Amino acid sequence: MSDCQGLGDCDDTRMQRIYEYLDGALTREDLSEIKQHLDTCEECAEQYDLECLIRTMVKRSCTESAPENLKNSILDRIHAIKPVEA
Amino acid sequence: MTLVKDRVVLPEPGYGMQPDSQQLTVDLATMSTTEPAAAAMYQAAGADEDAAAVNHVDVATETPEQRRARFERDAMQYVDQLYSAAMRMARNPSDAEDLVQEAYTKAFSAFHQYKPGTNLKAWLYRILTNTYINLYRKRQREPLQSNSDTIEDWQLAKAESHTSAGLRSAETEALDHLPDSDVKNALQSIPEEFRLAVYFADVEGYAYKQISEIMNTPIGTVMSRLHRGRKMLRDMLADYATERGFRAHTEDQAAAGSNNQEKEK
Repeated sequence: MSDCQGLGDCDDTRMQRIYEYLDGALTREDLSEIKQHLDTCEECAEQYDLECLIRTMVKRSCTESAPENLKNSILDRIHAIKPVEA
Repeated sequence: MTLVKDRVVLPEPGYGMQPDSQQLTVDLATMSTTEPAAAAMYQAAGADEDAAAVNHVDVATETPEQRRARFERDAMQYVDQLYSAAMRMARNPSDAEDLVQEAYTKAFSAFHQYKPGTNLKAWLYRILTNTYINLYRKRQREPLQSNSDTIEDWQLAKAESHTSAGLRSAETEALDHLPDSDVKNALQSIPEEFRLAVYFADVEGYAYKQISEIMNTPIGTVMSRLHRGRKMLRDMLADYATERGFRAHTEDQAAAGSNNQEKEK
């Protein structure tokens, strides 16, 4: 896909770097190196943007409210449990 | 040409994760608040610690009633989040509710083992995950999803056939228009270990180490699952966009090289 080898010499490596960047799993040096690269390389920046978007979409889509009665059902069950001594 | 980068607005870093000896982490205090990396992480971190911070409990001497009150005050606030996670595990809302109830019951019974000051939500997630694995998955006649080691050929072929690489910015916009239901379905269609890893990373913003503790797997496995899971998710979303006629042209796709599937470590 890519002529850019700024983040690694194959797509898998590049994406892994982008994931680690997104996940905050890099050293500060690596972080700034990648940030610098993303600022100048449109191709990698597009990959990064897309991953950011997907993350946002997942977060948005998967934030659900529990049914109204669930909390009460849990409390009922908990109150029915005999206390356990530590 | 940055679509998302400029939109990301970060709250103050509230990095409350445990220090991690195996994994290099970022010194967030030195980072600018506009730093795009790890956006989701900050958002997840702050809230967890508040409840714990006000608790200076002596677990050994508190009465059962005090413990119950502490549980209700500290743990019950995460019902929505646990339900959302359970929805990624169970097949329907009713099973998800059962799962959350069961997990909370177990958590309450084991609450004297929870160490105040540590991440309570992550502790609850771990119990939820274990409950799911031990109880629900066994109950089902067949596995919910293929195991990562026996991942179906068609899934591999699919991942190979259109590498994520060809997606252009126009497609980024196309994906942005997908309804939530497509995103949920796409996520639901990837194997569960990958799905849960993606959920914990993207929705909760947990660090690899924390996900590894919740899912009881090595960090390398978490990273591998995230990598493969995200790739599958991305391909799946691109398919949905195509089906809905959102797809932009992708001239790079034909030229896409072969991607070696990463093996589980």
